[in-house]
Amino acid sequence: MNDLFLSFIPGKSLLHRLDPRTKIIGLMVISICILNVSSLETMALVGLVFSTLVFICRLPVIHFIKSVRPMIPFFSLIFLMQFFFTEGTPILDLNLVSGTYEGLLLGGIVTLKFVFLILFAALITATTSPSGLTTGIEKLLRPLPLRYFGISSHDIAMMMSLSLYFVPMLYDNFKDLKDAQLSRGLDARKEPVKAIMSLVVPLVRMSLRSVDEVALAMESRCYTGQGRSSMHVLNFKNMDYGLFVLFILLVSCLVF
Amino acid sequence: MINIENLSYSYPDGTLALDSISLNILKGEFVTIAGKNGCGKSTLLRHINGLLQPGQGSVVVKGMDTCDLSNLQDIRRTAGMIFQDPQSQFIGMTVEEDIAFGPENLGLSSSEINRRVTEALESVGMSGHRHNTPRTLSGGQKQKVALASVLAMEPEIILFDEVTSMLDFSSRSDILDLIKQLHKTGTTIIYVTHLLEELVHADRLVLMEKGRVVQNGCPREIISKISSEDFGFDFPPIIELSKKLLDARIIDETSFPLSKDELLEAICPSK
Ligand SMILES: Nc1ncnc2c1ncn2[C@@H]1O[C@H](COP(=O)(O)OP(=O)(O)OP(=O)(O)O)[C@@H](O)[C@H]1O
Ligand SMILES: [Mg+2]
Repeated sequence: MNDLFLSFIPGKSLLHRLDPRTKIIGLMVISICILNVSSLETMALVGLVFSTLVFICRLPVIHFIKSVRPMIPFFSLIFLMQFFFTEGTPILDLNLVSGTYEGLLLGGIVTLKFVFLILFAALITATTSPSGLTTGIEKLLRPLPLRYFGISSHDIAMMMSLSLYFVPMLYDNFKDLKDAQLSRGLDARKEPVKAIMSLVVPLVRMSLRSVDEVALAMESRCYTGQGRSSMHVLNFKNMDYGLFVLFILLVSCLVF
Repeated sequence: MINIENLSYSYPDGTLALDSISLNILKGEFVTIAGKNGCGKSTLLRHINGLLQPGQGSVVVKGMDTCDLSNLQDIRRTAGMIFQDPQSQFIGMTVEEDIAFGPENLGLSSSEINRRVTEALESVGMSGHRHNTPRTLSGGQKQKVALASVLAMEPEIILFDEVTSMLDFSSRSDILDLIKQLHKTGTTIIYVTHLLEELVHADRLVLMEKGRVVQNGCPREIISKISSEDFGFDFPPIIELSKKLLDARIIDETSFPLSKDELLEAICPSK
């Protein structure tokens, strides 16, 4: 669990130096572009952009393989659905259903869309520290009229980073508990309900306790939710402004 | 530095956790608090840090009364606290962020926060782990990061709540060395433990029982007087032996040996 899916790789590359806000907006722009791709040629272009970025930032390719690997069953499902359920020239006949050439093409494109969405998200999280990311989101949300709903963009950012922290911790707790119950002779096949209860009840109790303790730890370090500053100062550099122009061009190309 | 007058506290469910405690702690002192499970040690520390407010009596830290809620932020930056469980006191996703959390709450400038993070990491010898996730560290390393997080607040008092109880022997002595170092540089240390070996380093021992202070004084003398039932834990063999020697008047109270080396020195002095 050391290499969490979507984890950060510290570094000083081009992407690392960009302002998190630029990267978040960039990710949105590129996602819109990816969703609009309709030919394999354009998809190849997206792939080229991605590989160039990974290459110039000298990021380990294995990291990106790891981030798509857990999704492979999902990708396969999407691909097979398209392959078998698209009308056209049959190329693979399996009595009941047949795969078509058009299905192969469409399936390929749709699957690649999902793959690249994830890869670009992984590219951003690999090159942006989690707190940079939350600070960026906080700053981007700030102009929204959230305070009329009684929430501040700061609360949202804090919630985000706490949940980013809690999910892996819950997973760790779960693994420990499962091991503990298994070693005490829990047999999930014989008594499934009892097995689930024996995991869920202590897990909830443990999580509530952890929440309590984390709250204490936060309070004892002067957390009040107000008047906080951030270790990371965000400021746009020329490169960021340049990219914004590029983003606007890209989006307008898509719209018109 | 810390004045506790007649402090009593009951939890909302009615458990009387502290029963008229009075205690003064001076600037730069190293005080250990010991006692059986549930005698109220953690509850007492939480009062000093302002996490709990007295039911009766008062707690004054560096002239600030913890009852006055407007003092709380200043009290918490004066008296930092480290908890027993290394796991559940992390807030940041990386070591660096966790240490920055406190200074960020104080609203410090980015350059000042960076300076404090770097210094705190250096003083606990964890600079190499700046960008790691706390979850992947060992127990001892986690407690060092927790200590660094408190150091980044530049506190004058640090409260340690059984911080070594989940650690192995060598991480434990690492942490203790760091604490002794801090004490030397003038930080007031309040250290809760039930490991007798750790009492040796303190200027003063406060022994608690059922929410009351039952002993308060020089660790050596108190240990030579009390039985292991009073202490709540079995004494290590060295102490049992020292007690026998004391009974037999081979050694006296003032040099009551607490460690192997001291015992050797007491029975066969190296001149
Ligand atoms: N949140 C709580 N609600 C109710 N009672 C509590 C709470 N926390 C502690 N207590 C009770 O208060 C008393 C003192 O607890 P405290 O945690 O201060 O003891 P302790 O000396 O730190 O024990 P330990 O050595 O186990 O850490 C105990 O009887 C305990 O059961
Ligand atoms: Mg305790």
